[in-house]
Amino acid sequence: MNLAPAGAMFLVDDIHYRYPGGQEVFRGLGLRARPGEFIAVLGPSGCGKTTLMNLLSGFLAPQTGSVTVNGQPVHPEMAALGYVFQSPHLFPWLSVLDNVRFGLRMAGQMDDAAQRSRALEFLTLVGLRDAVHKLPHELSGGMQQRVALARALVLEPKLLLLDEPFAALDAITRASMNEELLRLWARLGQTVVFITHDIEEAVFLADRVVVLDVAPAGIHSELTIDLPRPRCLRETRRLSAFGDYTDTLMARISTIVATASGPSPTAAQRISA
Amino acid sequence: MRLALPKPSWSWASLPALIVVWGLAASQVPAYVLPQPWAVVAEALRWLGNGSLGQHVGASLLRELAGYGAAAIAALILGVAGAVSLSFRKFAGPLIGLFMAVPPIAWAPLCMIVFGLGNLAIVVVIFIASVFPMTIAMQEGFLAIRSGHVRAARTLGARRWQLLRHVYLPASLPFLTASLRIGFGQAWRALVAAEMLGASQGIGWMVAMGGQIGNTTQVLLGIAIIGFTAWLAESLVFRRMERHYRTWHLNEGTYS
Repeated sequence: MNLAPAGAMFLVDDIHYRYPGGQEVFRGLGLRARPGEFIAVLGPSGCGKTTLMNLLSGFLAPQTGSVTVNGQPVHPEMAALGYVFQSPHLFPWLSVLDNVRFGLRMAGQMDDAAQRSRALEFLTLVGLRDAVHKLPHELSGGMQQRVALARALVLEPKLLLLDEPFAALDAITRASMNEELLRLWARLGQTVVFITHDIEEAVFLADRVVVLDVAPAGIHSELTIDLPRPRCLRETRRLSAFGDYTDTLMARISTIVATASGPSPTAAQRISA
Repeated sequence: MRLALPKPSWSWASLPALIVVWGLAASQVPAYVLPQPWAVVAEALRWLGNGSLGQHVGASLLRELAGYGAAAIAALILGVAGAVSLSFRKFAGPLIGLFMAVPPIAWAPLCMIVFGLGNLAIVVVIFIASVFPMTIAMQEGFLAIRSGHVRAARTLGARRWQLLRHVYLPASLPFLTASLRIGFGQAWRALVAAEMLGASQGIGWMVAMGGQIGNTTQVLLGIAIIGFTAWLAESLVFRRMERHYRTWHLNEGTYS
C-alpha cells in the first residue's frame, strides 16, 4: 500500500462564534496542530463541543478568525479533511464495501476496479475484510465505527477530525478501538484532532491534550503528554506518569466546572484562575 | 422427542369463513335480498363473457391512474417544497389540514358542476382525495432524512448534485413507496364514491346502478371487484416494494 505523506498543518486562529440567537460560545479560541500531531480536545459538558467540531470542519463559519488546513480555509468537502462522527452514519442502503468506496466514487478519479481494491485494502486494515458484502445493520456498533473509520481513511486525509467516535461503545470495544486508532495513525501519519469527554482516553491517545473552558471562552490550558509510543492499554496505563497526567487534567476540569457553577466570573477572573 | 411444529396461521381461513357465513345467511332470505356466492360468481362470468366487466374495470383504472398519477407528481413537488422551506411548510400546513378534514366525496357535486359530468370531474375528486395525504407523508419523510448521512457524505466530498443522487434519493425510496401506497388507497375509495354519483360506466357505477334496479347480485359483484383490485395493487405492487427496502430500513433504529 502506498501511503500518503505526512499530515497537514491545522491552524485555528482566534475564532469568535456567537449563535444566531446572540449567545456567545467561543471568544478568541486558538489552536495549532503540527503536521502529524495527535491532539485530544477535552471539554467539560456544556463547552460547546458540537459547535466547535462544526467550526473546525467548516460546517459553520466563525464570525471572526479563521480555520485553515495547510493554509487553505477549511470546508467540509475538502479532500484534506477526514471526519468520523460520534455515530457511524453509514449509508444503510450500501454494502460495507460500497460505504467505504463512497468517497472514491464521489471523487471519480479511479475506475470501479481500482476503487474496490482500494476500499478492500482499507477494510483489511481495520480488520473487516470478511464483512465487505454485509449491510451496515448486520454489524455491531464497534464494527460499524471501524467501517466509518475506513470510509474516512480511504481518502487519505491529511487531517482527521474525530468527534467522540467511540463514546457510544462499551468499555472493552472502546479500549481496543483506541489501540487500533493509534496503530492506524502510526502507519498513516495524519494530523489528528480527537474530541472527547474522557480524560483517560485523551491521555492514552494524544501527544497534547487541550482543555476547553466553558462557554463563552477559548482554551483553558494545554498539557503535553510525554508517554512512550507505541502505547498499549495494559502497559501505558500502569505507568506512574499516566496517573499523574489524568490527575492533573481531572483537577483542571473540576476547577472549570466549579468556577462555572459558582457566581458568574468575569473574564479577568477566569484568566487569572 | 419433541417436534417443533410451526404455529398454525389462521389467515388462510378468513375468506372461506366469510363465504360460509354469507352462504348461510343467503339461505335464510330470498335471493333478491342476498344472493348466494355462486350466483355472484355466475354473474361475474356473464359480465366477463360479454366483455362489459373489462370495460367497467378498465374505465375505473384509467381514471384512478390519471387522478392518482397527477396527485403523486403534485405531492412530490409540494412535499419537497415543504421539506426545503419552513415558510412554505408553515403556510401550506393549515390549508392541507383543512382539505384533509373534508371527506373528498364532498367535493364531487362541485367538481361535477365545474367540470361537467364525466371523467374529468371524477379525476379531480381522486386528485383531491390523494394529493394531501401523500404530500404530508412525503414531507415528513424528507424531513426525517438523517442530517448525519448528509453531513457524512459532504465530508466524503459529495457536492450538491451528488448529494441529491447518492444520499437524498436512496434515503427517500422507502417512504416514497409508503406514501404512494397511502395515496393509492385514498384515491381508490374516492374513485368508487365519485363514480356512484356521476358516471356512466366504471365499478362504482356498477354498484350504484345495481342498487337502483334492485340487482343485488350486481352490487355484490361490484363490491367484490373493488376489494379484489385494491388487494391486488396492495399485495402485488406496494407490499413488494416495501419489503425490498425493509432490510436496510431496520438499521435506522439500531445505532443512532
